Amino acid sequence: MIAATQLARRHRFRWWELLPWVAGIAVFFAFPNYLSFATQVLITILFALSLDLVLGYAGIVTLGHAAFFGAGAYTVGMLAMHWGWHEPFSGLLAAALVAAVIGFASGMVLLRTHGLTLLMLTLCTMTLLEQAANMSAAWTGGFDGMPGLSFSKILGLFGFDALYFRSQYLYALATLFLCFVVVRMLVYSSFGQSLTGVRENLLRMHAIGAPVRTRQVLAYTVSAALAGVAGALFTQANGYVNLAVLGLERSAGVMIVLILGGYGRLYGAFVGATAYMVLEHTLAKAYPTAWQLGLGLTLIAVALFARNGVIGIADSLRRRLEGSAR
Amino acid sequence: MDPVSILLGGFASGMVLFIVSVGLSVTMGLMGFVNLAHGGFAMLGGYVIVLAMKHWGFLFLPSVALAFVTVALFAVVLERLLYARLYRATELDQVLFTIGLVFVMTAAVTLGVGPETQVVQLPDWLRGQTDLGFIKYRTYSLALIAAGVLLAIGIWLGFERTRFGARIRAAVDNRRMAQSLGVDVGRLFAVTFAIGSGIAAVGGGLGAEILGLDPNYPLRYLVYFLIVVSVGGLGRVTGVFFAALFIGVLDFVLKIYFPKGGTIFIYVLTLVLLLWRPRGLFGRRGA
Amino acid sequence: MLETRGLCKSFGALEVAREIDFRLERGARHALIGPNGAGKTTFVNLLTGVLLPSRGNVLLEGEDVTTLAQAKRVKRGIARTFQINQLFRGLTVQENLCIAVSERLGVGGAMLRPAGKRADVIDEASRLMEILKLGEDAGRRVVELPYGRQRLVELAIALGLNPRVLLLDEPAAGIPSAESHILLDAIATLPKDIAVLIIEHDMDLVFRFADRITVLVSGAIFAEGTPAEIAANREVRAVYLGSALDA
Ligand SMILES: Nc1ncnc2c1ncn2[C@@H]1O[C@H](COP(=O)(O)OP(=O)(O)OP(=O)(O)O)[C@@H](O)[C@H]1O
Ligand SMILES: [Mg+2]
Repeated sequence: MIAATQLARRHRFRWWELLPWVAGIAVFFAFPNYLSFATQVLITILFALSLDLVLGYAGIVTLGHAAFFGAGAYTVGMLAMHWGWHEPFSGLLAAALVAAVIGFASGMVLLRTHGLTLLMLTLCTMTLLEQAANMSAAWTGGFDGMPGLSFSKILGLFGFDALYFRSQYLYALATLFLCFVVVRMLVYSSFGQSLTGVRENLLRMHAIGAPVRTRQVLAYTVSAALAGVAGALFTQANGYVNLAVLGLERSAGVMIVLILGGYGRLYGAFVGATAYMVLEHTLAKAYPTAWQLGLGLTLIAVALFARNGVIGIADSLRRRLEGSAR
Repeated sequence: MDPVSILLGGFASGMVLFIVSVGLSVTMGLMGFVNLAHGGFAMLGGYVIVLAMKHWGFLFLPSVALAFVTVALFAVVLERLLYARLYRATELDQVLFTIGLVFVMTAAVTLGVGPETQVVQLPDWLRGQTDLGFIKYRTYSLALIAAGVLLAIGIWLGFERTRFGARIRAAVDNRRMAQSLGVDVGRLFAVTFAIGSGIAAVGGGLGAEILGLDPNYPLRYLVYFLIVVSVGGLGRVTGVFFAALFIGVLDFVLKIYFPKGGTIFIYVLTLVLLLWRPRGLFGRRGA
Repeated sequence: MLETRGLCKSFGALEVAREIDFRLERGARHALIGPNGAGKTTFVNLLTGVLLPSRGNVLLEGEDVTTLAQAKRVKRGIARTFQINQLFRGLTVQENLCIAVSERLGVGGAMLRPAGKRADVIDEASRLMEILKLGEDAGRRVVELPYGRQRLVELAIALGLNPRVLLLDEPAAGIPSAESHILLDAIATLPKDIAVLIIEHDMDLVFRFADRITVLVSGAIFAEGTPAEIAANREVRAVYLGSALDA
């Protein structure tokens, strides 16, 4: 019964799980001039990780996840702008809370549907928020957003510097780590296991008496909160927020990042965000059209052949090797 | 503006929405395929018309016909080679594939023609104003309305009066049943997809005046096309017609009276409507 | 134990259940037979709450559960298998069973403890795999198994819910005959007081298994009785069993 112990061991830490964090700290010392970019990568990782919970684990296909990123981003922005709330940590919490409330409310209503209708509804919800942000210029700055936001020092010690992202980077890395610990715990818990059940077969899930909707809404809410934190980090680190935090482009973008990395796999978000953003950074600036063409072709190929992204490919290679070794 | 002009303006943009979206409605209803690349076919149609008129010396109407034919052929090739492999795939794969396709189309057009906005040169007989007796209005808008109505009637007749239409209707309602009655579903899909994309191509060209035409067209209007289709109901031609008109007029009115973000009402309405009737206003209930 | 009174269901003009009065006793080994399209699967869907009847009632131990949600009925002890496998195809056999067992033990929503540390759940899953001889496949994903083995997983999941009423929709369909005894043995080892309803086309199997048989034709009960009575019933022979028995 070697195979049967698989499950009992899966949640244990493996040595290579330290690698992302070692790499994260190494980047801090090795590339001091790229920390602004690296911070954006960390934020995208967190955003993709939050999407993984709903898309990869619970199997909810949404095109509106940027709604929560945007909600978090605007929450800290507006708090700082209108209420003089500049403290970063409590800002993250507030953002998580606002995003969670929106996630819970919309999840309760939207998750009754599925398929194309769900896709449409999530898309509409997000566009609605986008339009609302655009419209209420007095609160959100409208189309131009809110530039030049300032936040107080982290723990009263480390200030956010608009040019040198040293504090921002470490702050984002620490936040990502905490959120990751939460996601990892959820994914390996019985709750996480039952989410994969929801993803794999709804009919069966109902037939074993599982409260499917409750599980979905819970996952959706937690995921929204995490996306809200990612959005809040974005505003705090960059010192501005504008309409680009919402919208189809960001939703589709994070989905692509996650898929290319491998969804439903915990580390897919890390691989996807890093690979995608580094490539984009180096290629897209110089050859924007070629980048778009390549990206499009890659997506088509992934949809047709490669289903599970970089990590998925690595996985099946490993399986094949193990198979031939036996 | 007086109400009649507003109504006519709204109808004109509604017709464009209809012409572009109707194919999407039928193909999504028929094949259950989430096709986010539909706007891409409309865009390609627009570009064929522009190029044909500018460089190959075509007149307006012949280039519209050319757009229909070339895009329909292109679509059928894509359908047989790629789309058909994904009919049984998950929505996620379909979403990825069609987003990828949009990127490729956008990039291809940018590379081949350039990133700037294109203008469709209207022939003289479509310019200026026409006197309708009670009102003078832009000839082109009136022509758009006429074209939309004619097309709607044509499609409706095709659906109701031809064997091919009857097969599509049967397959939309119950694909398995249609299959067991001997309908060649594969061929049906291919032909429908080709015609739907061809009509979208015509819509992309005719509507360039209103929606503009540039490489970002497919993504910019994606939400609008999807809204029209899901409000009208998948696979429901009349539904899409009325939904398009309604949204066209509403959008027109909102943009005049609430230029700052008035369109938010369209999203609110869509949300409420889809929650109330997930299959759209004209969609079938049940099963 | 499980009872229906005047149960009716129609899909549009098609009546698939007509005035069905049916009783499944405690500890029964009951077979439901009938030609294709008779409405057998529909009847199971009505019992489990997947479908709501147009008219009539479903009673569980005397209590009306007609409109009770499916999940609640499961909690009260009604479990079913599907005619066509409904499994978590991308997950391993072990995970498939753990999901079902966790749900029964009420820990399916627990977020803190790793699923791998739930020894009670894992042990129970192992026990089920042993019963259905699935031990070797524990770590394999369900998609990779041959259909017959998947069928056994289907049954194992239902057993994992520890049911008092077990509804089996053609459990043997698709299992190679060499392995069908695994299935029968598993059913035979069930506690005696569990009520089992089995839908089956294989008459050999039906007569070996059942102590009571109901014949459903066009949505209505056509005959009911002990195997001997049904075998002797001339109308049943004519309508349905004819070829199977005379052969
Ligand atoms: N959701 C549905 N909508 C419409 N008709 C349905 C539906 N489900 C079943 N039917 C029809 O109801 C009838 C009874 O179906 P059911 O699946 O209950 O038969 P069955 O006795 O289980 O047959 P089989 O032995 O083939 O499994 C069939 O004619 C079927 O086509
Ligand atoms: Mg059946």
